[in-house]
Amino acid sequence: MSGPVARLVRAEFRLMTRDPLVLTFVLVFPIVTMLIIGGSFSADDADAFSGVDPSDWYVASYVTVVIAATGLVMVPVHLASYRERGVLRRFAAAGFPRWSFGIAQLAVGLGTTALASAVLLAVAAPVYGVPSLHEGWRVLAALVLGAVAFVSAGVLLGSVLPSARSAQAVGLILFFPSFLLGAGGPPPAVMGDALRDIAEVLPLSVVTTAAREPWLGIAPAGGSLVVVAVLAVVGVLAAARRSALGARG
Amino acid sequence: MSESEVISVRGLRKSYGGRTVVDGLDLDVRAGEVVGLIGANGAGKTTTVECVQGLRRPDAGVIRVLGLDPVRDADRVGPLIGSQLQDSGLPDRLRVAEAVALFATHRARDGGELLERFGLGARRRSAFSSLSGGERQRLFLVLALLNRPRLVILDELTQGLDPAARRDVWAAVRRLHEEGTTVLLVTHELDEAEVLCGRVVAMRAGRVLDSGTPAELIDRHAGWATVGFGLGDTRRGDDAAFLEHLDRVEGLRSVRRIGDRVEVHGDRRVIAHVGAALVARGPVPDDLSVEMPDLEDALVTLLDGDGGDGGSGGTDRPAADLIGAAR
Repeated sequence: MSGPVARLVRAEFRLMTRDPLVLTFVLVFPIVTMLIIGGSFSADDADAFSGVDPSDWYVASYVTVVIAATGLVMVPVHLASYRERGVLRRFAAAGFPRWSFGIAQLAVGLGTTALASAVLLAVAAPVYGVPSLHEGWRVLAALVLGAVAFVSAGVLLGSVLPSARSAQAVGLILFFPSFLLGAGGPPPAVMGDALRDIAEVLPLSVVTTAAREPWLGIAPAGGSLVVVAVLAVVGVLAAARRSALGARG
Repeated sequence: MSESEVISVRGLRKSYGGRTVVDGLDLDVRAGEVVGLIGANGAGKTTTVECVQGLRRPDAGVIRVLGLDPVRDADRVGPLIGSQLQDSGLPDRLRVAEAVALFATHRARDGGELLERFGLGARRRSAFSSLSGGERQRLFLVLALLNRPRLVILDELTQGLDPAARRDVWAAVRRLHEEGTTVLLVTHELDEAEVLCGRVVAMRAGRVLDSGTPAELIDRHAGWATVGFGLGDTRRGDDAAFLEHLDRVEGLRSVRRIGDRVEVHGDRRVIAHVGAALVARGPVPDDLSVEMPDLEDALVTLLDGDGGDGGSGGTDRPAADLIGAAR
């Protein structure tokens, strides 16, 4: 026997491992695309990648693709399907505390992100190698805060969208541009001005910059880290308000 | 609110977008009672129990469950209630035993024993999506009872179940009553209310029309039994004397003769008197029939009558249609 949050986290983790959407989008997709694009450039192209090896650039960037897939696709679909099927009502009626479900979702989202990131790096290691961390604490802070921000955004989306289908549609529409412009696509240096301007303001770009630059020793990216922290705080507050179990109007 | 009162509702009002669903409802449920909320679709039954459980915030009125406010004290009230909700499910891939583990608090009984008792022992490793409708309902009942609740709320408990599964679930509710658990049952199935409930509350348009034991409601609103039989080949004079005798029996409402057949209407006492008269008269007719009024007759009368004012949220459909729609 254990507390309600622990019981929810345990059950939700089990369910995540059985969900084909999670396996496809959070685990398989980032690994496959990283393997493809990580080998698409040679060391001669380093100028376009702030002077670092392109494969290092992509290995460091794809951890944030995992974060985006978890926050924009997995969590909203999962949560919206719960709402659609009355699962949240059942939790509320069973006396699960008001914040337990939101906390459990955050824990499961962060856990899934950590697990999928570890698998991604384990696959990358024998193929491209894992670049050494220049400023470990900054990277860790950026990844944790970025994951909190994106998982919170996912909880928020799943709480306001009317069905699992709509959550999937909206999630994918948000995910793919973020993925291509903010982490897994071409480097900003080869983008046109307009595209680069758009890419710069995408939340995933900010998270990727905050993690990748100190990881590869390009720059400390302190400004990006602050923005990620603000996104995380705003995301948590908004998600907490919408995902609380309890009386409706 | 007395100590024996588990639920106390005073003046509950709830509207959705200007449509009043519950309109000044009062309800009391005492410890150990099995109380049924009955009424047609849209009577406000489900909204009432959702407010009682703290799942909806009332627009007005005072609700106390075990002395607590179900919205303000949600974290304290929730664990004391076991509920089976209408239109709610579990994750498809969650297995039966995992569902029990997920919902079990420190107060929980032995989940395995409960699963065995409700015929789900062999389905422990089955995913929720693979369960039949009856198995799902039984699992919901297991989850509702798991944490030794002081109040059990069951909303459309046997909807979609086959007759055998219904009887299993009924037996479970009876056991709950024997164990002293308080049960609030929302149902369209009037035979279910008649069999299970010590008291029923009939609702229309968010108001209570009447309440009492099923027998009291039947007596008040559908109290007429009908005894029918054929006169057979007796002499005309004997028939007249016999009918004259029936005309004076206690509890009689009317005697009708249709050709050779006689129909006697009256309250329950008429059944005994007519039976006694038939035995005294000679061989009991082979075609003797007795029709007893039931809760459905009572509810039809109530819904057709002045029990409610047909106000907001009400309907002008005939009561028989409403009952039909509810089934």
